[in-house]
Amino acid sequence: MEAIMNVNFIQELLLSMVRMATPILIVALAELYSERAGMVNIGLDGMMAFGALAGFLTCYITNNPYLGILAGAICGILVNMVYAFCTITLGAEQIVYGMAINIFAPALASFIYKIYFGINSTLISNTLMSAVPIPFLSKIPVLGPVLFNHSPIVYLAYLLVPFTYVFFNKTKAGLNFKAVGEFPKAAESLGINVIRKKYLASIICGGLAGIGGAYLTTCYIGTYSDGVVSGRGFIALSAVIFGRWMPGGVLLAALLFGFTDALQLRMQVLNSGTPYQLLAMIPYLCTLFVLAFFGIKKAGPKANGRPFFKEER
Amino acid sequence: MDIVCINIYDLLNAIKQVREWKSINASGVCMKEILRMENITKKFGEVYANKDINLTIMEGEVHTLLGENGAGKSTLMNILIGLYQPTRGDIYRYGEKVKIDSPSRAVKLGLGMVHQHFMLVEAMTVFENIILGVSNDKSIFIKRDAIKKEIIALAAKYSLDIEIDKEITEISVGAQQRVEILKALYRGAEVLILDEPTAALTDIEVEGLFRIIRKLTAEKKSVIFISHKMREVLEISDQITILRGGRTIATLAKENTDASELANLMIGKELVTCEHEKVTETKENIISLENVSFNKKSKHSGIRDITLAVGKGEILGIAGVDGNGQSQLAQMVTGVISPDHGEVLLHAKKIAKFIPGYFIAAGVSHIPEDRNKMGLIGAMSVKENLVLKRLEKPEISLGKGLFLKKPAMAKCAGDMKDKYDIRCESIEQETRNLSGGNQQKIILARELEENPDLLVAVHPTRGLDVGATRFVHEKMLDSRDKGCGVLLISADFDEILKLSDRIAVMFEGQIVGVYPGKNPPIKEISLAMAGKQMGQGD
Amino acid sequence: MNTKNNFIKIAVPIIAIICSFLVGAILIACIGGNPIEAFSYLFRGAFGTASNISDTFVKATPLIFTGLAATFAYRCGVFNLGAEGQFVMGAVASIWISTTLTGIPAPLQLVISIVGGAIAGGLWGVIPGILKITRGLNEMIVSIMLNYVAILFMGYLYSGPLREGSVPQTASVTARLARLFSPIRIPAGIIIALVLAAVIYYYLFYTSSGFKLRTVGLNRTAAEYNGFPVKKLILISFIVSGAIAGIGGSVELHGTQFRLMSGFGEGYGFDGVAIALIGQLNPIGTVLVAYLFAVLRKGATTMQVGTGLPTSVIDIIQALVIVFAVAGSAFVNLPKIRQVFTNLTGKSKKEGK
Repeated sequence: MEAIMNVNFIQELLLSMVRMATPILIVALAELYSERAGMVNIGLDGMMAFGALAGFLTCYITNNPYLGILAGAICGILVNMVYAFCTITLGAEQIVYGMAINIFAPALASFIYKIYFGINSTLISNTLMSAVPIPFLSKIPVLGPVLFNHSPIVYLAYLLVPFTYVFFNKTKAGLNFKAVGEFPKAAESLGINVIRKKYLASIICGGLAGIGGAYLTTCYIGTYSDGVVSGRGFIALSAVIFGRWMPGGVLLAALLFGFTDALQLRMQVLNSGTPYQLLAMIPYLCTLFVLAFFGIKKAGPKANGRPFFKEER
Repeated sequence: MDIVCINIYDLLNAIKQVREWKSINASGVCMKEILRMENITKKFGEVYANKDINLTIMEGEVHTLLGENGAGKSTLMNILIGLYQPTRGDIYRYGEKVKIDSPSRAVKLGLGMVHQHFMLVEAMTVFENIILGVSNDKSIFIKRDAIKKEIIALAAKYSLDIEIDKEITEISVGAQQRVEILKALYRGAEVLILDEPTAALTDIEVEGLFRIIRKLTAEKKSVIFISHKMREVLEISDQITILRGGRTIATLAKENTDASELANLMIGKELVTCEHEKVTETKENIISLENVSFNKKSKHSGIRDITLAVGKGEILGIAGVDGNGQSQLAQMVTGVISPDHGEVLLHAKKIAKFIPGYFIAAGVSHIPEDRNKMGLIGAMSVKENLVLKRLEKPEISLGKGLFLKKPAMAKCAGDMKDKYDIRCESIEQETRNLSGGNQQKIILARELEENPDLLVAVHPTRGLDVGATRFVHEKMLDSRDKGCGVLLISADFDEILKLSDRIAVMFEGQIVGVYPGKNPPIKEISLAMAGKQMGQGD
Repeated sequence: MNTKNNFIKIAVPIIAIICSFLVGAILIACIGGNPIEAFSYLFRGAFGTASNISDTFVKATPLIFTGLAATFAYRCGVFNLGAEGQFVMGAVASIWISTTLTGIPAPLQLVISIVGGAIAGGLWGVIPGILKITRGLNEMIVSIMLNYVAILFMGYLYSGPLREGSVPQTASVTARLARLFSPIRIPAGIIIALVLAAVIYYYLFYTSSGFKLRTVGLNRTAAEYNGFPVKKLILISFIVSGAIAGIGGSVELHGTQFRLMSGFGEGYGFDGVAIALIGQLNPIGTVLVAYLFAVLRKGATTMQVGTGLPTSVIDIIQALVIVFAVAGSAFVNLPKIRQVFTNLTGKSKKEGK
């Protein structure tokens, strides 16, 4: 127990929390944009896997982790365009198609990896993105290194939060965007192009999810393996619900998940006998309670999950 | 000579121009013509929804479109706001021909519509709903304070009382309507179309709405008022255009007409011939409602203190325009909803549980309002839909549903198909591929073959052609003759007059009159349908 | 005609499968392999020897269970994405029963254990059901959350209270499901699965209760108006679906894995949903598609050994089957496309009005 109360321990824990929360935050924001336009996308795991692969490969070839992130974004968008087309234009069930992506994209990623590197068990590593400490702020005792000594993607992720907040609450485009997820028919009647906005949402979602995946292989760990995503896409999904579809809430949720993740990892190291799994359950149980408590009333954009077809007679 | 001729020519031209877009109204004031729809015709397939409609709207007038359901009002308005394109005909704005090919174009031309079912985003505030989709300046940010000031000023100008920062879910229906009106005004509407605006309002709110309308016209805005309620129409209108069967029947100034004339023009008939015997008295009641209320506060989706009974072997027709509580009445007598107050007695026994299964077991059959949503399983076959209610009968299954005898099902369905003349390629066909008429016949077959004690039929011949309609009517009369009680709810006045042994009129959730079906007093009934009692004065 | 509809329903997945194999072949060719050779290794791996055939059945068994679970639920309009959690909880119940009830003969213990698995799965499945009926909650997210809770709970068990030895896993069960019909050695588990499939098929299509359940899934409003007990049927579908998955977990434990450890049941849940959809929500289709997936999985390793091609090729083919089949179903169901089909076949016969 003493070890836990150590300042160093706490500092390391918080640092870990910030780093582990980052991919969840990015991907949760991706899903937020998607759901705000009425598209429930559960294919996040798949997009992350593909983005992770793209990022890894590009970084390996070019030795530039930034290009890796960019590649991740592009590939995420490409994968999500399949989802977008089938659900927006063909009207396939969003959930079903999201799952199809979850099965397809990681398989493709794994395939490309094995083709390029061959089938062996040693993990290839690449250069990690180096941390860019913010000059003055990172020197603050305790909190400094925790908050201000990270790779730029981390800063990007956290900056996205206020950006998203401003977008949805202060801009015209954001308002119109939200209307698409709440009441597409009304939005259409006011001259908002619902279909275009939905595709746009899918592009943003794919891009951010791809970045989230690429982060894993270019900034977090320098290797790619089939299990690199390990369900973070679904955790991001829960974060959106837990955060009640608000950027600030999503941030809190991501940090909570990151915290419990970091904590249980450290617990494992400290004492391999403790049942870390019980700790790891907390975020999921919390999400369940939030859902059960608030019920359907505040369960997200009203027209979430429903396909939109223009009037025809 | 020449100089005089030229002058006269110029003068004649000038007069012609003036006549084209200005007219003198009743008080001798010169009014401008804002909108003119000329010979508008709209065909859907073979059906004419609008035929050669002529409508002229002047600046600053309240012009009412009066007509029953299906008269063509909605289609006409949808053309005006750019959702449909007319098959033939032209629209003129300030005398110039225009083409309204999209809703945004309609908005740009100054046309604003307040739909009957509001297009408001519930999770957003009044302010956000008003500015949605509008971009008056170049900035990407919403200039909240500046725009709020603008909106508040605009609202004040037209006496529209709004709470700009409240969410839509927090304000009353009347307030929501004001938001919709403000939305249209903010987008520069000069002509506001109000579709059945008083349907969801309380009496006080209706007064408030009329005050707003008068303020609008005082500020030179025009209002197209769509309604079927006589009292309101006569109070607020300047001009009244009656539509019937997709055509314009007449356009009258309010001063020149009265309730009876309007009712006549709307319904368009004085006499109805009847080919069968009408029942004049019944011995016992199958179902009776006593002081039943449901959702009392709502005038168009609630029932208020209804006392009603359907006798054995009679057809009770409920007349009235859609949206006066008929759907709720139908749902109540089939067990889909339960009353807030009052009692319902079935076979003289008080009903304990309001679930459809109970009513069905007690001998109630239902031809529902929306056959595809409420009656049929579209993806299932004709056969499956026909035997839907007899799955536990011994001839169809063993052990009360433990083993379905497929050949028996097919035979039963086949017999029904022949008896009710259902036209389909095979009984294995998916029901959703059949025509509306045949789909309705499936429901009819299924419901009538149960030999019910009470048949609740809602719009039973909606969308059917003449032959199918006659067939359905015959079958309903057969049932009645066998002792079944029939509750017929229909917006087709013809049908009510033809079939009913007794006619009850529903208006705003209440029964406002019960009349005999034999030699029915049509004038009285049509007035009652429009909310005006005979002899209540104009 | 119903036959025309049935034809389309079967054609879509078959075309999807063919297309996926074609794309797979192209992929293999692109990386320098020989598609025909690759596929022959694939089939040899699945069917080549008696033990291969047996192993394919083994791989198919859990997929049939989760596929049936998803099929049953979806027929009632319910998305059961929690099959993985229910599968795991079924196994957890079984392991608990196996370790506590030690004094009774093995066959009896087996039966009790499987029944216990069914109950556990059913209970785990009823949670999202109750929340849906009372609070109107979307069952998908609830069941996905419960998946994680179940997997973590199982992890806790085999790392802690039920652990045996230094490696995190439980003791192995003593009552085991036999392999029958030597030399092919069909695992008894798949027999159970096939029997279950037959029972479900019978229930859905030959009983009035199953009929009503299907109507709820197709048109809930009409089902209500026609007097069917909608809420009860929805709850039943959650419970039964969960129970099926629970039995699957139990069978997997007693038939193949014999102990709980990391990775138990992984991926079966979602695969089950995919299988159900491709199989057009028909129990027979589900069995066939599950078997196809098993063939692909089993043959993939043989193919990799024989040709050096990565197993991911097969994963891609499998994924493509899902992508094409679902898109194909959606496409075929678009109102405009349905119109095309009716026009094509209805040109000679005119439907009366």
